[in-house]
Amino acid sequence: MFLSKKGVTSLPICPSGSAGCQVSLGNLFDRAVKLSHYIHSLSSEMFNEFDERYAQGRGFITKAINGCHTSSLTTPEDKEQAQQIHHVDLLNLVLGVLRSWNDPLLHLVSEVQSFKEAPDTILWKAMEIEEQNKRLLEGMEKIVGQVHPGEIENEVYSKWSGLPSLQMADEDSRLFAFYNLLHCLRRDSHKIDNYLKLLKCHLIHDSNC
Amino acid sequence: MDLRQLLLTLMLVWANDSFSTSEGQSNDGTCSKTRILIPLSPHPVLLERPHFIKCRSPELETFSCHWTNRDFHNLTTPGNIQLLYMRRNDEEWKDCPDYVTAGENSCYFNTSYTSIWITYCVKLINKDEVFDEKCFSVDEIVQPDPPVGLNWTLLNISLTGIHADIQVRWEPPPSADVLKGWITLEYELQYKEVNKTKWRELEPMLTTAVPLYSLKLGRDYEIRVRSRQRASEKFGEFSETLYVSLSSISPVLYVEVVSELEFPLLLVVIFGTFGVIVVMALILFSKHQRLKMLILPPVPAPKIKGIDPNLLKKGKLDEVNSILACHDSYKAQLYNDDSWVEFIELDIDDPDEKADGLDTDRLLGDNHLKSHNCLGVKDDDSGRASCCEPDIPETDFSASDICDGTSDIDRSKKISEKEEDLLCLDQNDNDESLASPDDPTAQKPNINIQSEDNQSKPSSADSIESPSPPVHTQLSNQSSVANIDFYAQVSDVTPAGSVVLSPGQTNKTRRTQCEAYTEPAIQCQPRFTMDNAYFCEADVKKCITATSHDAAEPHVQEQNFIEDVYFTTESLTTTAENPGPAAEASSTEMPVPDYTSIHIVHSPQGLVLNATALPVPDKEFVISCGYVSTDQLNKIMP
Repeated sequence: MFLSKKGVTSLPICPSGSAGCQVSLGNLFDRAVKLSHYIHSLSSEMFNEFDERYAQGRGFITKAINGCHTSSLTTPEDKEQAQQIHHVDLLNLVLGVLRSWNDPLLHLVSEVQSFKEAPDTILWKAMEIEEQNKRLLEGMEKIVGQVHPGEIENEVYSKWSGLPSLQMADEDSRLFAFYNLLHCLRRDSHKIDNYLKLLKCHLIHDSNC
Repeated sequence: MDLRQLLLTLMLVWANDSFSTSEGQSNDGTCSKTRILIPLSPHPVLLERPHFIKCRSPELETFSCHWTNRDFHNLTTPGNIQLLYMRRNDEEWKDCPDYVTAGENSCYFNTSYTSIWITYCVKLINKDEVFDEKCFSVDEIVQPDPPVGLNWTLLNISLTGIHADIQVRWEPPPSADVLKGWITLEYELQYKEVNKTKWRELEPMLTTAVPLYSLKLGRDYEIRVRSRQRASEKFGEFSETLYVSLSSISPVLYVEVVSELEFPLLLVVIFGTFGVIVVMALILFSKHQRLKMLILPPVPAPKIKGIDPNLLKKGKLDEVNSILACHDSYKAQLYNDDSWVEFIELDIDDPDEKADGLDTDRLLGDNHLKSHNCLGVKDDDSGRASCCEPDIPETDFSASDICDGTSDIDRSKKISEKEEDLLCLDQNDNDESLASPDDPTAQKPNINIQSEDNQSKPSSADSIESPSPPVHTQLSNQSSVANIDFYAQVSDVTPAGSVVLSPGQTNKTRRTQCEAYTEPAIQCQPRFTMDNAYFCEADVKKCITATSHDAAEPHVQEQNFIEDVYFTTESLTTTAENPGPAAEASSTEMPVPDYTSIHIVHSPQGLVLNATALPVPDKEFVISCGYVSTDQLNKIMP
């Protein structure tokens, strides 16, 4: 039974194995954690490959201190903050970040394909991340629907405006735009992975992981 | 010192390049680096400027930075080095919150000062002089502490007693909060034998336990583990080395030997198998046909007893049909005939060889052989030659007129047998012939062959030994049986004492045998028993003298010359030569015995019998008359 987000009376969080729940929360979290773990691994590998191939000696690392487009989302910056925030808020933040990355990932895939001399591994990883991100987003929405079925919150997400930078004619600028985008992707996937693990431990295992 | 200065200079130049940026990019609040130029001087001052060694966060909650500081204060203005940091969102540089905790020349940032996923920039300054600057993000500098609590347990020992499996466990570093999942660590295990130098690595794993397989018993191993944040590149420090002592577990006694022989044993097995395969292939190819016969034996063709399969092959259907139509006996006969023919075919082809045993052939010459039907048949495979046997006297004599009796003893004996049969018949003839002794040639042939022989004999003057037709010119015009010429009779005794022999007077013998011995009986009284066909010489004399011999002498003599004389006493085949006129008188006077002793053989052509010695016969001699053996003769004669 699909849980609607709108106008549905709050339902208690389904304990694992209980009837009425489509999928137990625990299973949803397990799947979510696995996906986030997978996405972060791919992001890290892709960034490392790109860094080795294109960014050596260019000093990108100093330039890449620029913030990511998702910086506007106030996400917890350390573990204590992540533990203090309410899990629902945290879930929403996770959803916001995931939504914020839908658009950039799509363009990343399209732009990497046009990127000459791009290795096939980077392209494949970009496509995989883009697909898995969608699935994670769906899963998180289900989790949120189970954990906090209620009023619809504004779908908070950050818009991404980095597309022109990816299409710049200047090769160095374009490479830097890619580098920056990949750098931010790695960071945000890491955030999501950590947040979900904390949530899982907190919500499923009741902090007794 | 100069080398050190050069090295420092190179390091500074490299550090300058790695950290140098364009000046225009320092406006956005990020850390900016100023380019530092170091003049190269002939004697450059070795300035080892403080710089960051590394900044590290062990658990993603705190971090610290370390820098170098060597002899710098002595060279430049004294002062403390400060570390200033600034986060991306900050506007100003802040001083290091803790210079102590992390040790000397370090700055420690605790959890409150640590923000993850936020870019930090730190710089080393001394008052206004910036030595080094560095920007990073905390999640990028995570290097966990080493794992703790390494231990191992024995899983099992192999059946051969050579290897063992162990399970190694450890605990994550206590500083890292892996339970809640704030940090996810992956571990790398390394192990080696104690006396080896190279570590063997396992793939990074997320679990804190891992089995080690095929460790050799009797050896000691070292194990160490290090960890790193997942998806990061830098590992933390190694844990303490774990010593695994498997030597305490005593291996099986033969383990050492077996382990040493493992490699050559494997080679032996491989090459042995290869050799066996090669040998089998050779056998297969060499004995292809035989194996084929063994595996797929040919269907036996139907075999009919008695039929030669070759006949079928040659297409002799007639013979096959005949064989099939008959019974077994017929088949046997036919088959035997065929085989006999085949056997004959293999014989030698020389017809002369067949007749080698026959002295007659030698005597008769080649032309006789040709006319001889029997011997003239070529010894071919038809088998007809074999049906002709030279031993058969009938065939011989019937076939040709030249098949005379030879000097062969056997022949003579057979002929003698014949002679006896014909004695009586001849007797009549002889009687008739006696009446006309003048006709030596007019011989009534008792046997056709004999007549032919008689006719041919006189024509041929060659001395050939054969039972020449007995021409009894004295007694009869016909010599009864030609074969009876084996017998020689003394026709005359010379005054010198030699005896002249003539062809045997068979009629005489016959007469004695037949008891129709009338004429001689008239003239000579038979003082000897009639049981013997042979006469003593003395007795013969008397009889012969009575016989009319005058008229027959020349003939006899003639014929003596011509005819052969055959002596059976010693199976000597000689040709008797008529002594000549001396024989005439003796021949007429003396009876003609069939056998005469020979005591001297003068020559191949002459045979002289010494009669003088003989007339002194002992009683012994007389008693045993009829045949004087050579022994007796030797006694008598000197």
